[in-house]
Amino acid sequence: MKLEALPWLVLFLPLLAAGIITLFTLRNKTVSATLSIGAIVTGFVLTLAVIKFGGWEARELSVNWLSIGGLNVDFGLKLDALSLMMLLIVTGVGSAIHIYSYGYMREDPGFSRFFACMSLFTFSMLGIVLSNNFLQMFIFWELVGVSSYLLIGFWFEKPSAADAAKKAFITNRLGDFGFMLGILTIFAIVGSLNFGTIQELLKVNPALFGASATLAGLLIFCGAMGKSAQFPLHVWLPDAMEGPTPVSALIHAATMVAAGVYMLCRAFFIFSPDALTAIAWIGGFTALLAALIAVQQNDIKRILAYSTLSQLGYMVMAVGLTGPTPAMFHLTTHAFFKALLFLGAGSVIHAMHHEQDIWKMGALRKKMPVTFWTFLVGTLALCGVPPFSGFYSKDAILAQALHAHNYPLFAVAVFVAVLTTFYMFRLFFVALVGEPRTKEAEHAHESPGVMIWPLRILALLSVIAGVMGINKIFDLYSSRVLPPFTYEIPVGEFSGAVKYVGRLLEPFQHAPVAAFGGLIAVVIGFLAAKVLYGKAKTDPLPAKLGALSRAMANRFYFDEIYEATVIRIHDTIAAISDWIDRWIVEGFCIGLVRGGTDLTGRALRLVQTGNLQTYAFLFVLGVAVVLWFVLGK
Amino acid sequence: MNLSLMSLEIVVVLLGITVLMADLWLPAERKRMLGYAAAAALGLLFLNTFTSHCSCSLTDGQTASTAGGMFIQDGLSVFFKRFFLIAAVLVLILAVEFSDRIAVGVSEYYSLIIFALAGMLFAASANDFVMLFVSIELITITFYVLTSFTRGKVVALEAGVKYLILGALASAFMVYGIALVWGTTGKFNFSELSMVSAKFAENKLFLFGVLFILVGLGFKIAAFPFQMWTPDVYQGAPTPTTAFLAVGSKAAGFVLLLRFLFTAIPEVTAHWKNLLIVISGITILYGNLCAIPQRNLKRLLGYSSIAHAGYLLLGVAALTNAGQSAVLYYLSGYLFTTLAAFTVIALVMRHLDTEDISGLAGLSQRSPLLAATLTLAMISLAGIPPLAGFFGKFLLLKAVIEQGATNHGYYCLVFTALVGVVISLYYYFGVVRAIYWSKDVPDRSPICISRPMRLAVWVCIAGMFWLGLFPNAVLKLADSAVSVLK
Repeated sequence: MKLEALPWLVLFLPLLAAGIITLFTLRNKTVSATLSIGAIVTGFVLTLAVIKFGGWEARELSVNWLSIGGLNVDFGLKLDALSLMMLLIVTGVGSAIHIYSYGYMREDPGFSRFFACMSLFTFSMLGIVLSNNFLQMFIFWELVGVSSYLLIGFWFEKPSAADAAKKAFITNRLGDFGFMLGILTIFAIVGSLNFGTIQELLKVNPALFGASATLAGLLIFCGAMGKSAQFPLHVWLPDAMEGPTPVSALIHAATMVAAGVYMLCRAFFIFSPDALTAIAWIGGFTALLAALIAVQQNDIKRILAYSTLSQLGYMVMAVGLTGPTPAMFHLTTHAFFKALLFLGAGSVIHAMHHEQDIWKMGALRKKMPVTFWTFLVGTLALCGVPPFSGFYSKDAILAQALHAHNYPLFAVAVFVAVLTTFYMFRLFFVALVGEPRTKEAEHAHESPGVMIWPLRILALLSVIAGVMGINKIFDLYSSRVLPPFTYEIPVGEFSGAVKYVGRLLEPFQHAPVAAFGGLIAVVIGFLAAKVLYGKAKTDPLPAKLGALSRAMANRFYFDEIYEATVIRIHDTIAAISDWIDRWIVEGFCIGLVRGGTDLTGRALRLVQTGNLQTYAFLFVLGVAVVLWFVLGK
Repeated sequence: MNLSLMSLEIVVVLLGITVLMADLWLPAERKRMLGYAAAAALGLLFLNTFTSHCSCSLTDGQTASTAGGMFIQDGLSVFFKRFFLIAAVLVLILAVEFSDRIAVGVSEYYSLIIFALAGMLFAASANDFVMLFVSIELITITFYVLTSFTRGKVVALEAGVKYLILGALASAFMVYGIALVWGTTGKFNFSELSMVSAKFAENKLFLFGVLFILVGLGFKIAAFPFQMWTPDVYQGAPTPTTAFLAVGSKAAGFVLLLRFLFTAIPEVTAHWKNLLIVISGITILYGNLCAIPQRNLKRLLGYSSIAHAGYLLLGVAALTNAGQSAVLYYLSGYLFTTLAAFTVIALVMRHLDTEDISGLAGLSQRSPLLAATLTLAMISLAGIPPLAGFFGKFLLLKAVIEQGATNHGYYCLVFTALVGVVISLYYYFGVVRAIYWSKDVPDRSPICISRPMRLAVWVCIAGMFWLGLFPNAVLKLADSAVSVLK
């Protein structure tokens, strides 16, 4: 088989699995799970093969899908350092989560449906990653929205899950509307939607977009704002935790929410400096807001959800600070440790019979040792403790802020790092150590092997991902989209395993201020958490902070504000449109046309008497009319 | 005379005779299977058209003629011959399925289908008024018999008689028209006629004759105002006959129409834009409006077939190669779609006296495959992506819009066609609703489908999707086929 066929296989295997499961194997749980897991694991192996034999060079595979007159629609795959690395993340982390789901969802009656949806999601996500043009990306973008809707609302019999699914879908559609307008703007100006073509044209003529450069960039960013849950469209992500925990790990931590960041990096060359500044500030603000909210949440998954928001804010900020490499680096390490944390949380929830309140857990070290230790690894990585991976990627972002001379955002980023350590160790001290707080916590037991092996693998990756040279691979891509476009990276620098030790200390030589800033943040956060929550029976913060704590716990009332403004206005407009549609359009306009058409049909039917003489007469009459029409004038 | 050019037609005629003869020796219980043998033979002939030693093998743009120029072999004729062969194979398989409802003479039914096919093959190659008339009569006369083949049924006899009398009327007009054209120009051959037709463009007697010929062809394709026979005949005839009538006979009419209008008298045709636009528009509206109140499925498809003749005339009215190629493409999609619909009707309505829509109730449980097939056929007929009907309509409308600058009537025609599409959605989806959402389900017994029938159904489904999703291959064939037309 030729090498070109492999990426197509990677993309379409999950779709095939989803199709077969839906059509044929819904009743056979084992076959369904095997198909779905097999598709994604095969995808991972094939991706490795593509990289092994094809390298990281940028290349495009495309087939002409439709060609009518001047309109050519291609279906193409773009392979380069960015997409290949992202492929590895999606299929790799995805494989671990798929396998974990086999244990986690075993008792669920919708087991096969779950795996069909997961495979559909994988297909859509891979489609986004591999797209070589905006149109195709948008199609898969929407498919991701649909599959995420199906998975959040997986337990649709629960009203809260159904509402959360709707909320996620509609909020995403708001962002996607902007995204679509952005795509149309680009098409109107450039006449092409292919990433490569647009970049070439921009290189030749940097002022191609003219006055609408910032507008186009911000519209495109709207798409990322929805998918990556940036302020003010961040409200859907915490609610999306209503879905099964593996879904939260796969979609709402590792992959789908990263799609926005990925798209920003893919289309990086489009953004004007003004647009990038706006993106950076929105990212920074989201990071701060979400971290503050996370401090006063009590549901284990919601804490992780707000933490995800906050980390996504970091990534978006990094893109805005002209750093696609740090953004993608953090995306990668975050995919590992956040998937790990979610799966660990899932393991705890599984053991606690679906109890999610951290104040009802405690003392799980002895009963669930693997979960406990891997969760600790994830926590350390997220907080950014060296030599765990999170330290290196977060440091890269801090260094980027300094490099861009944006000191306010640097301060915000360091403060968010303090908060991150604080809320993560609050979670850790309350839920995992100390005294058992309820009966369930006393009787918890470790999860089965199929669930803890993925934890171990992800934990290993969370430890070493920082020094594997992932950032050097992303540099290969960044050098092509960052001016002056000619910045060459020697290939030898990241190949081979020799430089791991050197990389351990690299941040301290490269940007000492950022590295020590990050370290100090971790120490402050940890000490604060230790003092406040080390032996706490109840949360001491509400008493100390008062109204601020209540605001944090209530997510700064964003849902309530939206309820009172956006939704109220929307409902009013909807009611008016409904009235117009029902009485004027449907009742009057359509009613008249429909009645008229129906009547004509019935009248014409009368001509068809079945009488042969009539037919013959009408036939000859018809001939006469035609003759008159042509010759009579 | 170069008979090898006609070898395909000769083999088909011989096949028909063989089937007729085999009837004498075969034991009665084997006769049914003769249809499969004939279908297989025609399938082989179809495959053979792609090999180099067939009379249909032509290098691009090449034409050859024989019998004094009466019989021409070019891209257009080859395209239609393949079309007719596929149609005949699928119809024969359907006929085997239907044969338990034919009291006597099953083999004759098969052989008549094959003779009608021979007529269509000759029609595809007709380049002369004599050949045109003979091939049309060969088709029509076999169809008179095929229509009233279930002699025990009054409706079938009535349909046959109506078709016979109105068909005779149309033939009379046609012969008269041919006589007039010959009388004024002295030419029978299309190629020769095309050299002189410009001179006669103002000659009333000549135009009179041409219009009479068009009356005959209009009858074949069921265009307004010569469509009166369609619903009655479609309803009364045995279902395989109806299917062949809807696909083969209509396509034969179109190939003759295209060849006559665009090779024999192109200069005259160019003046008749308005006539074609008006006929096309009225045909679309008439077919669609009359279909609304219908409850009988075959009658409904009869009216829908009138409407589709109107859509096909869009491509003729455009007077461009793009339009003609769209006609060919649309017919290809129409072949699979219509045969799929009639196949399902024949299978589902097996034990019912009438083909009322209510007979479809519960089909989604009785046979999910047939339910899906009929639904897809309706969707394709309505012209909804991603099926064949959508892309065909798209090409037709595109061809007409491209001509919009030359005559504003074209825009009105496009609007009319779109209105027709909207109306058609109503009755097509009435059928879909009956399949899936009927409350009263009298019969829940599963429907068994024989293996060849299942294959035929899948071929139709594949054809609908293929033409809707991957248009390039057939589009290329159609484009090169119409390059011989002006």
